[in-house]
Amino acid sequence: MIQLSGLKKKFSSRLAVDDLTLSVPRGEIFGLLGHNGAGKSTAIGMMLGQVWPTSGEVKICGHDVTSHRAQALKKVGAIFEAPAFYDYLSGWTNLEILSHYTAPTSRERIREVVEWVGLTGRERSKVKTYSHGMRARLALAQTLLPQPELLILDEPGSGLDPEGIAEMRQTILRLHRELGLTILLSSHLLTEVEQLCTRIAVLNQGRKVFEGQITEVKAARQRVALQTPDFAAATALLRERGLISGADGGRFISLANGNSTADVTRALVSAGIAVEGIWQHEQTLEDFYLDLVKPPPLPANKN
Amino acid sequence: MLLAQLKNELWKLFGKKRTYIGFGAFVVVQSVMLLMFKYTKWQSHFERMLSGNGYLATDYISALTVAVVMLWPQIILLMPLYVTLVGGDLVAKEAEDGTLRMILSRPISRVRLLFVKWLAGIIFAAVLVLALGVIALIFARIYFPWKGMFVFGQTQTDSTFGLFPANEGLVLYAFAHLFMAMNAITMLSVAFMFSSFNMKPAAATILALSFLFVNMVMQRVPFFEDYRNWFITHHFECWFLVFQKPVPWARIFESESILLAVCATAFVIGSTVFYVRDIKS
Repeated sequence: MIQLSGLKKKFSSRLAVDDLTLSVPRGEIFGLLGHNGAGKSTAIGMMLGQVWPTSGEVKICGHDVTSHRAQALKKVGAIFEAPAFYDYLSGWTNLEILSHYTAPTSRERIREVVEWVGLTGRERSKVKTYSHGMRARLALAQTLLPQPELLILDEPGSGLDPEGIAEMRQTILRLHRELGLTILLSSHLLTEVEQLCTRIAVLNQGRKVFEGQITEVKAARQRVALQTPDFAAATALLRERGLISGADGGRFISLANGNSTADVTRALVSAGIAVEGIWQHEQTLEDFYLDLVKPPPLPANKN
Repeated sequence: MLLAQLKNELWKLFGKKRTYIGFGAFVVVQSVMLLMFKYTKWQSHFERMLSGNGYLATDYISALTVAVVMLWPQIILLMPLYVTLVGGDLVAKEAEDGTLRMILSRPISRVRLLFVKWLAGIIFAAVLVLALGVIALIFARIYFPWKGMFVFGQTQTDSTFGLFPANEGLVLYAFAHLFMAMNAITMLSVAFMFSSFNMKPAAATILALSFLFVNMVMQRVPFFEDYRNWFITHHFECWFLVFQKPVPWARIFESESILLAVCATAFVIGSTVFYVRDIKS
C-alpha cells in the first residue's frame, strides 16, 4: 500500500528525513514511531503530496505521489493532529465541502458515515460547538466518506483525554476489523503504538533506526533482571565464566547462548554471592525505543 | 465537479462574518455621505457649478448624480481595503487554520484548488461592486428624485463634465460598475497572489495594499508621467471615462486588457509559488 524508497527531505540546511525506505503491506496497522521532530509528519506530508521530497520515491496504492498524486490519493484518508474544520459551518456542510475534493458524495453516504462515527443528531450544529472528541469523530467521518482503503493517522490521540484516547484506539481497531483498512499510525505515544500496531518503524533525527514486528521488539533482547547486593562483582564473575553476554543498568544481564537463569543462580551462589531475585524481564516498547534513540556516549576525555 | 467545488468555496467565503465587513462599511459610509450631501454646503456647491454653466440645478441634482458622487471615496479608500482583506485570506487563512492540509490530503490538484478559490474571489469582488452600486442608488433615491445625471470629476489625464438624461445615465452607471468590478478583481488577484505565498493572511493583505498604494503614489509623481501606463492604478480610472462624450472606448479597452493581463499574471505567479511550496502544519 505504501512504498517509500530512499526518501530524503531537506529544509534549507536541516535534514528532516534522511534515506527513508519503508513498506506497508495491505491490511496492516503500521506504527511510525518517533519523538517530536523526528521526521514523522514530514514523511507523512511526502506520502500525501503536501511536502515535495528532495530525492527518493513515494508510492501509494502503486502510484507515484509526486507525478500521479490524484491517482495515488483516490483511496486514501488522513487525519492530522488537532483536525481543523470550518468552525462557522455545520459538521454536515464541512463533510460536504471536504468530500467534494475527492468525488461527488451522496447525502445517503454522508448520513451513513455520520451514523458510523456516532455524530447523528449533532451533524447540523456548527463545528465551533463541538467538543474535542466530536471533532475527532468528524475528522474520522471526513476520511471515511470516499471509502478509503488506506488511512493515514498523524498523532490521532494528541490533545484527547484518556477516555478520548481509549475511544480512538477502539475506533482504529474497529476500522481495521470491520472495514479492512490498512492503517499507518504516527505517534510518539508508545502505549498507543504497542496496543494497536502489528509492525513499527522508529524514526530518530530523520533516519529510520528500526523496522519490524512488535513481537520482534519484545523478543529482540530477552533480558534477565538480577537482584543482588553486589551487581558489579556478580556480573564480573558471570562474564568470566562466559554465562552472560552483557550487563546494563545495574540491574539487567543478557544471557549468553545456551545458558539459563538456573545456571546463573548456581554460579553466583557457589561463589558466595547472594541472589535476592532473578527473573526474565520482558522488554517493553518503551525500553526498546529509549535504547534506540539514546544518544551515543560522549568520547572519553583523554586529558 | 468544478461547479460543486466552486459552490463549496462560496459557502466557505460567504459563511464567514468578515466577508460582510465591506458590505456593512459601504452601507454606513454611504448613509453618512448622503446626509452630508443633503445637509452641508456640498449640495449648494454642485448647484452653483451647474447654474454657472447654464444648467438648471433642479434638473440634475438627482439620485444618479448623488450615487456617482458617493462612489469616489469608497472606491479609492474602502474597496481596496475590503477586497484585499478577503483576497489575502483566501489561501493564507486556510493555511494558518490548518484546513488547507485537510484539503490537500485529498486527490485535488493544487492548481485546480487555487483556480476554484480564485473564481470564488472574483465572484465576491463582483458582488461587492454590484452591492456598492445598488446600495448607493437605492439610498440616494430615498432622498433625491429620479432625474438627469450630472457627472463632474477629474482624473490625472482627463476631466469629465457630463450631463445625461436619466435612462442614459443609468446605462452608463451600470457600465461604470462593470469596469469597477474589473478593478476590484485586479485588486483581489494581487492579494490572492500574495496569499498563495507562505505568509500570514494579514501580511498578504498589507502587501497587496502597499502594492496598490505605491502604484498610486508613483503614478502621481511628475517624474513618472511618461510611464503612467505601467501603474495599474492609472488603469483603474477608466470606469470614469464612460461618462465622457464621446466615450474613449479604445483607451478603456486598452486599460481593461492590461488589468486582465495583471489578473492572469497574478494568478500564474500565485499558483506557481503555491505549487512548489511545502504545506506543513
